[in-house]
Amino acid sequence: MLSRTKIVALTLGLLAPPAAAQDAYTIGLTGALTGPPASTYAPAADALRLYVDGVNATGGIGGKKINLILQDDAAEPGKATANAKKLLGQDNVILLLNASLSSTFPPVVAEAKRAGVPVLFASSVCPKEVYPPADALQFCSTAFASTYDSRATLGFIKETAKEPVKIGFAAMAIPLSRAEMDFAEQQAPGLGMTVVGKEVIPPPTPDYTPFATKLKDAGANWVFSWAPWVTQVRTLEALRRLDWKGNYIAWAHIEAEGELARLKDGSFYVIGANALFQDQLPIHKEIAEAAKKAKLTYPVEQLTEGWIAGMVVEAALKAAGWPATPEKVAAALSTLKVDTKGLRGGPIEWTKDNHFRTQQYYRVYRWDPAKGSIVQVKDWTVFGVKSP
Amino acid sequence: MQLAVNILVLTAIYALIACGYVLIYRVSRVLNLAHGELMMLSAYLLLWTASLFAGHPLVAIAAALGLSALVGALVYLFLLRKLTGEMALAAVLTTVALGVLLRGATVLVWSAQQQYPAQPLGASNSTLALPGGARISVWAALLVATTLVVYAGLFAFLRLGRWGMRMRAAGQNPLLAAQRGINLHAIYALAWSLSTLTGALAGILMALDSGLSQTMAIIGLKAFPAALVGGLDSLAGALLGALMVAATEVMLIHYVDPLLSEVVPFLLLIVVLMLRPWGLFGTREELDRV
Repeated sequence: MLSRTKIVALTLGLLAPPAAAQDAYTIGLTGALTGPPASTYAPAADALRLYVDGVNATGGIGGKKINLILQDDAAEPGKATANAKKLLGQDNVILLLNASLSSTFPPVVAEAKRAGVPVLFASSVCPKEVYPPADALQFCSTAFASTYDSRATLGFIKETAKEPVKIGFAAMAIPLSRAEMDFAEQQAPGLGMTVVGKEVIPPPTPDYTPFATKLKDAGANWVFSWAPWVTQVRTLEALRRLDWKGNYIAWAHIEAEGELARLKDGSFYVIGANALFQDQLPIHKEIAEAAKKAKLTYPVEQLTEGWIAGMVVEAALKAAGWPATPEKVAAALSTLKVDTKGLRGGPIEWTKDNHFRTQQYYRVYRWDPAKGSIVQVKDWTVFGVKSP
Repeated sequence: MQLAVNILVLTAIYALIACGYVLIYRVSRVLNLAHGELMMLSAYLLLWTASLFAGHPLVAIAAALGLSALVGALVYLFLLRKLTGEMALAAVLTTVALGVLLRGATVLVWSAQQQYPAQPLGASNSTLALPGGARISVWAALLVATTLVVYAGLFAFLRLGRWGMRMRAAGQNPLLAAQRGINLHAIYALAWSLSTLTGALAGILMALDSGLSQTMAIIGLKAFPAALVGGLDSLAGALLGALMVAATEVMLIHYVDPLLSEVVPFLLLIVVLMLRPWGLFGTREELDRV
């Protein structure tokens, strides 16, 4: 039998936080690691963990390691709330990250605000509160940006099209995607384009052909989709099965590079803010080596978004210093400038009023059937960010 | 013409999934709410068999189907068998738990990313031109044909086959069937196996046509209104229900508003259930006993 002393010692041992955690920067992430939208968020969480492991392996930040706690919310607001409560109340994180659907934002942000802890949206869509005038505790490193993405895409179509543009739009029936396609629909006529259709596709859909049929019958010669990857790519594939020969442009989500290679469709363009691995930058090599060493499940080209989040976290904790508090981390994030080493067109720079980034860069890629590889179609185009 | 093809394909998808709900309910009065997840698991099993039998698509598909049928039987033997004779609700809740378990397990084993089983199989997805300018993918055409074959096979099996008649007997009066020497556990295991097999056919063909992700489990639930509209204990009802739901969806997408296509099938379900709570072809007596 255990003696009373041993029981007391064991109890105290179980209740006390691990020594490593006490002597480390503790940060937490609530994300859709499982559930229907996990394909977008789980690779980012894995890449973030990979980055943090790399920092810790080289001695941490000023000798202090980063203790990253990952919690799965399966994209459910209820679970995200429980995760946020646990991370803030029990683990005492100094920075809370969100990698999940926008429906998880309100409860997570509410909990973080109560605790006075900054929230970094990493791979989840940037909420309007990070744009000028930004909320003091909300920050976003995710590539895509509502309205700016549509402006950049429509600008590219205008430059590229050789014939009058008859454009169709494909959105997923979720608020953000619909709002973006509504915005694009309003902008297109001003650029001399004729809007011939807009399909709002409910998730999930067993067959995309009925929606594609409408776009084809409407006579679209360009289709623009800004939606989760599954909607973008399945609409395109359904259009092609209907023998539609037009041009298709979609947002370059993390799946884009692998999918361009799979589809080998010369008229399928992707526009995005992250450099694809085909650019073969030194940083790409670094990510690939780290992923290979860690034997990650996800393809290496899906790791950029999470890697960038890791860069932001490292820079913020460095700037906050030791011992870090949520206030010091928030202050550090508010004036942060992160060199993304070419993963983006320029640095991620935040100011007191702008927690999205001061400049947003876009690049366009497609599959080149002649070369048998992905090629850059248009190099970085920059937009100054002043409002949502 | 394309509109008719679109309705046909969606009907086939819903009908093939819905018959899985019907098979189990008709025999054991259990609503299998893990049917979508079992369908998804079957498609993931194809990914595994495709890696084992690369370059032999037929072998890989047959192996995945065989494994799926086995999984269905094992689910009954290890999970539902102990609940035989208990409240139907306990079994239904068990299937809900099974669904949650399968969703988590598939992410752990195959990750959350979008998968394309056709790639390792080296199978392409060309399109067939139909009269009237309509087009259909090869896999979608196969799905339509498979649905017809499955329904014809099930009708024949249940009407003419010895085991089919035993299944009907067990569904109509389990006590009497047992007294006549019918092994109820074997019948229930067969029903689960057949149900998972038909779901597997739907899941595998859909995955070959347009890819595979975690969302497939939800598509399984989308076919549920079709089964309910037709009547949960009627295969003919499932077919008609699938046609009604699919036609409503496609027509709304084409002529009114795509967003209504999500809502109206359930409105249709409510209307039908208000007028005939046991569904269009369901049996009133059967429902009253649940």
